[in-house]
Amino acid sequence: MKPTRLTPVFLCAAFAACGDNKGTPAVNTCDGIENCVEIDGGDVKTLQNLANSLEPNTTIVLGAGTFAMTNSLTIRAAGAHVIGQGIDVTILDFAPTTTQVNGVDVVGDNFLIQDLTVQDSPKDGIRVEDSNGVVFRRIRATWTTPSDPTNGGYGIYPVKSQNVLVENSRAEAASDAGLYVGQCQHVIVRNNTVSGNVAGLEIENTQYADVFGNTADDNTGGILVFDLPGNPIVGHDIRLRNNTIRNNNHLNFAPGGVVGKIPVGTGTFAMASRRVEITGNTYINNGTTDIALISGLAIESDPTKWELPTASLTGDWEDLGLIPGATPNTIMNWRGENILVADNTHTGSGLHPDTSDPLMLGILLIVAYAGTPVDNVVYDSILETTFDSTDPAKNSNDNHMCVGGNTGGTFASMSLDHQTVDTIVPFFRPAAPFAPFDCTDLTGGPVAQVVLP
Amino acid sequence: MRGKAFVLVLVLVVALGACGGSSSGGVDLTQPVVVDLDNPPPDKLSAYNLFTWDPATGLAFNESEQRIVPYDLNTPLFSDFALKQRAIYVPPGAAATFDPELAFEFPDGSVLIKNFSFPADFRAPEDNVTLVETRLLVRYPDGWHALPYIWDDAQQDAVLSPAGEVRLITFVDATGQTQMANYLIPQRNQCGSCHARKPTKETNPELVPIGIKARHLTRTYADGDDSYDQLGRLVEREMLDTASAVTPAYDFRPIEAGGVAAIPAADVERAARDYLDINCAHCHNPSGVQGITSQLFLDHATTDPFHLGVCKRPGSAAAGTGGFSFDVVPGDPDTSILYFRTHTTQVGAMMPLLGRSVTHTRGAELVHAWIAAMTPLVCSALQ
Repeated sequence: MKPTRLTPVFLCAAFAACGDNKGTPAVNTCDGIENCVEIDGGDVKTLQNLANSLEPNTTIVLGAGTFAMTNSLTIRAAGAHVIGQGIDVTILDFAPTTTQVNGVDVVGDNFLIQDLTVQDSPKDGIRVEDSNGVVFRRIRATWTTPSDPTNGGYGIYPVKSQNVLVENSRAEAASDAGLYVGQCQHVIVRNNTVSGNVAGLEIENTQYADVFGNTADDNTGGILVFDLPGNPIVGHDIRLRNNTIRNNNHLNFAPGGVVGKIPVGTGTFAMASRRVEITGNTYINNGTTDIALISGLAIESDPTKWELPTASLTGDWEDLGLIPGATPNTIMNWRGENILVADNTHTGSGLHPDTSDPLMLGILLIVAYAGTPVDNVVYDSILETTFDSTDPAKNSNDNHMCVGGNTGGTFASMSLDHQTVDTIVPFFRPAAPFAPFDCTDLTGGPVAQVVLP
Repeated sequence: MRGKAFVLVLVLVVALGACGGSSSGGVDLTQPVVVDLDNPPPDKLSAYNLFTWDPATGLAFNESEQRIVPYDLNTPLFSDFALKQRAIYVPPGAAATFDPELAFEFPDGSVLIKNFSFPADFRAPEDNVTLVETRLLVRYPDGWHALPYIWDDAQQDAVLSPAGEVRLITFVDATGQTQMANYLIPQRNQCGSCHARKPTKETNPELVPIGIKARHLTRTYADGDDSYDQLGRLVEREMLDTASAVTPAYDFRPIEAGGVAAIPAADVERAARDYLDINCAHCHNPSGVQGITSQLFLDHATTDPFHLGVCKRPGSAAAGTGGFSFDVVPGDPDTSILYFRTHTTQVGAMMPLLGRSVTHTRGAELVHAWIAAMTPLVCSALQ
């Protein structure tokens, strides 16, 4: 516990504009930086000409002020650093953009973006794709119209990238996910604040991510870990620790898609995921439930849609316990398995399950709990060999769900594949330490430490 | 003073006379084309000495070496109704290599020229024409370089403009309606969003031409008195090593002029597939990044109904669905996402991603007709 608590303090000592992530001027200049260009606040033309003729390893220092952008800021060179004068001091404003583009759109290794605000992008705020070595530091990605389904999808969006650091940043009002790490490897996400998004912080089809010290406040869903069907990067080794996940009861304003199915009031879910640790987090007042452990079949019930040719897979997968598909030389990753939940605190959640989520999970919970609080950790137990509403000995734990160390909260196994609107099978609600879900260690050892180069 | 001014005007007139009556930044059509691969690209388009432009008389290409061939495509890419004038330059002593399916390979120093212009009124497309931009694809030893040049207000020359521009352009379309387009002159980094191809998963993306393929080029070029077989002209001038017969893409011009009713019903499918191929398949193909994500493949070689979108749910279209569930609902274009996205002007939903801000009425009409003519299927029953 101690080292992780010290980390934010150390960081804030190192960077002047830290603290509450608000816009204290950072006074960044080109002094001492090779291949560096300073651009006056608002000088869009100079910025765009430079970005579109960029030599490798160039630093661009943007002055204070608002850049009225009519098109994307695209980077296609390696080693580009884009540095402003602070959140809300240097603003890349994409409200004047009429084309269907991301705000900042990057393909290039060793990219850094720091000390600025990106707002009102037609699509994603800052998208960095296919890049090795990515830093987002003290960035605010936002839309100025809250809860608007026409807002862009993702605020801060590293995708298909390796060695990614996102820190001391804010992501707000995205119509999909505020801070979205998609299909990446080796990621640290720390000390960020996500609020007013449909999904606050998402880790999707990602391998080796350490997510700590973040605050997810007032989203539809707070911090989510999942795999989607058909993606050849099978997610694993994800650690969510020492985050604050509170009041995630925001209206689901997604224009559609999978994210539109997230029940209002979800703190965390881990879906179609494996080797995940959810430890030491503070959960407060999430209306539906704090932590849901979910099978991918809950959103895509056809297992063949989850088949992945083994030859297509990225990274290591052999030891993950993935089940073979019906098609030869394929595996499937719909199963949620090998997840550790421990030492979280839970306050005030589960009192107002969503009444209108498309999957009707909220309705199920409302009926099942009849006005009493939903348990803090719920497991769908889809396709477990055996289920019984009362007898621990008659419940299998095939998927190695380990809740034994989470004695600060309550737990239920829902047998979701046997529930119908007409007939509710009573949930299995064991007392702590929740046998047979009382294990406290992941198969294969703890989640690997993420070390960035 | 007055006398001096008069002399100056005379000098100017004489100087202009040498350029064949045009004023395009000093281009001299009696001198060879200049493609300097050893220095940074010139700031002014005129430095290439490729063509002159005069709003009154139009374009005149450099014929001094007979190495420039203007061409059209059977089905062109739609760009907010911009008129496009295209030409190929291949340096003397070298030739491109024919391929029946893929884009031709070109020798270093070759230039693909594409001019984008708007008349004030498309019912009189020769009058009041403004040349907006000239995009060059120049073949360097390390591959194609995309060089965007924007024409100055006086229509004298075009300036290399990596930043691009979004310009509000107002015009009267062929049906007499006033259109306002947020016309995108792409910034240089955006050229790759259509022209980039990753040969393998590991290699860096490289720029490739889109239209320089046998099926698009197999047609007769007609411009006033000049009429020729395009591939034949390229071979005859030894700019292309050889050419053989391929099935050409469908000629879109009758549809642009008279709508789907102007072509036989039996041709609608082929016309629609060729329209989707040139407008969509640079991303929506089995090796395109977005194509893989969406699993919607609109290249002309794709034949299986699922990847053509039939009863297929979209990947992650979100706002792009228009509230509909399937890419293509056979027999029901009005609930098909493919039709919705090709005709809507809603930012965040319209396709293609770049280069369209208004509806291509005739193109959308063709896609509509294609889906409507399919044997009806109730998609949800299949799920």
